[in-house]
Amino acid sequence: MLNERAFKAVGKPLPRKEDLRLVTGKGRFTDDFNMPGQVWASMVRSPYPHARIVAIDVADALGMPGVLGVYTGVDCARDGLQPIPHNPVPSTNFDMKLTGPGGTKVFIGSHMLLPADKARHVGEAVAMVVADTRDQAQAAAEAVAVEYEELPWVADTLAAAEPDAPRLWDELPDNVLVDSSFGDAVATDAAFARAPHVVTMTAHIGRVTGAPLEPRAALGSYDAETGRYTLYAGSGGAVRQKREMAEVLNEPPENLRVISFDVGGNFGTRNRAYVEFGLVLWASKKLGRPVKFRAERSESFLTDYQGRDLVTEVSLAIDRDGKFLAMRASNLSNVGSRCASLSPLSKGAGLITGSYDIPVATLRARAVYSCTMPTQAYRSSGRPEVTFAIERLVDKAARELGFDRLELRRRNMVRPEQMPYVNAVGSTYDSGEYEANMDKLLALADWQGIEARRADAKARGKLLGVGFANYVESSIGTPKERADVIVRPDGVEVVIGTQPAGQGHETSFAQVTADLLGVPFDNVTITLGDTDVVSAGGGTHSGRSMRHASTVLALASVEIIEKGCALAAHCLGVERDAIQFDEGVFRVADRNTSLSWFDLAGRADDKSLPESLRGGLKVRCDSEMHTPVFPNGACCCEIEVDPETGGLEITRYSTVDDVGRCINPLIVHGQTHGGIAQGVGQALWEQCYIDPGSGQPTNGSFMDYGMPRFDNMPSFKTQIVEVLSPTNPFGVKAGGEGGTTPAPAVIMSAMEDALSEFGPMDIEMPATGLKIWSAIQQGRARLAASKTA
Amino acid sequence: MALVSMTVNGSAVAREVDDNTFLAFFLRDHLGLTGTHVGCDTTQCGCCVVHVDGRSVKSCTMLAAQAQGCAVTTIEGLATGDVLHPVQRAFHLHHGLQCGYCTPGMIMAAVNLIETHDGALTEEIVREEMEGNLCRCTGYHNIVKAILAAADEMSPSHAAAE
Ligand code: FES
Ligand code: FES
Repeated sequence: MLNERAFKAVGKPLPRKEDLRLVTGKGRFTDDFNMPGQVWASMVRSPYPHARIVAIDVADALGMPGVLGVYTGVDCARDGLQPIPHNPVPSTNFDMKLTGPGGTKVFIGSHMLLPADKARHVGEAVAMVVADTRDQAQAAAEAVAVEYEELPWVADTLAAAEPDAPRLWDELPDNVLVDSSFGDAVATDAAFARAPHVVTMTAHIGRVTGAPLEPRAALGSYDAETGRYTLYAGSGGAVRQKREMAEVLNEPPENLRVISFDVGGNFGTRNRAYVEFGLVLWASKKLGRPVKFRAERSESFLTDYQGRDLVTEVSLAIDRDGKFLAMRASNLSNVGSRCASLSPLSKGAGLITGSYDIPVATLRARAVYSCTMPTQAYRSSGRPEVTFAIERLVDKAARELGFDRLELRRRNMVRPEQMPYVNAVGSTYDSGEYEANMDKLLALADWQGIEARRADAKARGKLLGVGFANYVESSIGTPKERADVIVRPDGVEVVIGTQPAGQGHETSFAQVTADLLGVPFDNVTITLGDTDVVSAGGGTHSGRSMRHASTVLALASVEIIEKGCALAAHCLGVERDAIQFDEGVFRVADRNTSLSWFDLAGRADDKSLPESLRGGLKVRCDSEMHTPVFPNGACCCEIEVDPETGGLEITRYSTVDDVGRCINPLIVHGQTHGGIAQGVGQALWEQCYIDPGSGQPTNGSFMDYGMPRFDNMPSFKTQIVEVLSPTNPFGVKAGGEGGTTPAPAVIMSAMEDALSEFGPMDIEMPATGLKIWSAIQQGRARLAASKTA
Repeated sequence: MALVSMTVNGSAVAREVDDNTFLAFFLRDHLGLTGTHVGCDTTQCGCCVVHVDGRSVKSCTMLAAQAQGCAVTTIEGLATGDVLHPVQRAFHLHHGLQCGYCTPGMIMAAVNLIETHDGALTEEIVREEMEGNLCRCTGYHNIVKAILAAADEMSPSHAAAE
């Protein structure tokens, strides 16, 4: 059992260990590495959304200065390279089980490094040029002559699901790769048939991109003497990239070393392998030179894995008192040209009923291919989508049926005494005090003061809108994690297989280790990101890292304390049972002798030790934990709209987040802030827009993709709640993604409130100034017409 | 090719480089000063900000040759030995960085803002003046806090009080 009173580091807002190198310019990002003899790769990318590759003429490019090689999909196939094994169907015991139509196996179109048959989205790499310098490679890429036969294409999510839509894969009769149903359809239909009220809504949660500020990069080299490859590539988990790249290259995994030290943002975009990772490795062997690739920002916009893009149709059956009776949902996810991940669809599926006790529900979950960049789990995979659906639907029900929007929520929330609560599609919420979150939030946001602020805004010619949303989300993720804990005379080292991109693992994992072993925080170091040191591990995604790391560290600490006790017994000449361990010290009861960890470590290599105690003071521990946890919370924001321009300012933003045990509040608040910005970005500015006439993506730079910025974001009020999860030793849930999950819903809720005098209106995200202004004009015209009528 | 010489973090340097070499790549590729980052192709993100003769400059858009004879300071040259600059320290204490990719440019821009702004900085001024730097991780909240705290520490009245 954990001794909470001994916690000296856990729960403290300690500034991070990783900062020192990052604020002095000594970070180790992928592009910071160079190797002797290194050459550069550049990609030839498809200008068409869907086109057969008829022929590729490389002669001109090969003749250009510095060019060392030009490679195509035919070359990949000739060398027997395998597709990237994305393994997109979520498969822990607790993931929703997705199938193809009629219960068939999901068809996964193969993701070759370079396609030999056709290009399936604008920007897809169809050939690679390698040259001495980056400029030379880029110039030669322009000279590669690809003969394309343009094919009919489809990018829009709903259109792609039509039976007669242009087809991406010959193996399927249409583009639908997943069609599964969950919940109790019969009982749901019966409840809907009896219900006095039914409210329905359709929404498209649009396509966005992670836009981490470090453009993706890769440096591959091959050592002919050892037969080993080395890949420098920032990612969400070097261990996974190693396994997948080994498969692509037909090599045993031990022939690959993947290094991912500092990673300049991830948000999901880096959790799937990129074709360029395999390509630089493959070319490095062919040429006998290290090969480097660095994406331009425009390439990142075009070909980073993207996020969201889900169409949801939801209805709620409600009785006369406002009690929810049943829910029906149909979700359609656009996976793009290849299926890199079905996590967004699956994650959302388990959470359609949100924070509410809805007795029966049914859900149809579908996924379609389209001629777009593949999507992947992006910042809170799948949860903002379904939170948007249920929360906006509840707002709509309140408005249409004349309930107060908070009261209607209170009447239906899952109550603490119902925990663990099994929702209508089978997810088991572990713990939480949902209504108490709401009360805390209303106090934090000064809900009482809203009408006064509304009047004040009005006096300044502004329309104040207040948004509200509850949320519950799930953290599942890869179930396995491994930790090596090594005690040395000068400190403790932990080697672990998660992969942070700013989440501060070197700090929070050290806090946990320090308290588990009773050593000072400053004496613990965390080693990550080099597969020659880190042998296994699940990477960082789905808010899994803190929970899995603290769990495996708790297990490892039990083992290493036992080892320490045995060693101490030997050193002090007593029986094992005479040794007591407390707060980092091994002692013999009633005796004035004791040994610290570091004393013991000094003796652990002693040759005179009996066999069983030799080999150093270290343990390797593996844990496997499938049970998910359900972080939850509530969120409120206020906006002011200028009715003459459609301009908008966020004036207040407050959240309450139950993250379970909070290891480091400084870090968790920071994660929430960043999460909020990404959710707000989706609601107001961000969109990967595809021109419906040409199929061309039109956002290629930070000039035409709207980002959250210093001057369009407010400061936040964030409050952490710690209802400990019973599923893991520390009671950790997850932090950060809770900032994103309710954000699109809460912003649109505020928008509706601000514009309520113009009657109900339909503004699709992102709610740009033009859309707001147009909606106001239409609302005014409607009002004027109804007056004259 | 041209011979470009300048002072970087107090040391005189000279390199023969292609005419079209930008200052950011001169620093990164030719001098090995990889603390200056490049996050975009359109002068929009600010990851590359350095000081050239005391002014904040987006080094991805300035040719190395344009900095001929100038005094350039990069993130590597900001601390004095082991003692962090107040802005570096404030970013650490207030958790003004997560992945750290935007951080060098962010810190260099903030230092210049604090040093050159007339009068007291407010949250509003910081948000307006720093608009040319993007961060994807922090939501800006803690960066604003860090800059205001550092400005306070660096202000003459604070120094006088000590
Ligand atoms: S690299 Fe983006 S502004 Fe210089
Ligand atoms: S800390 Fe990651 S971009 Fe700013």
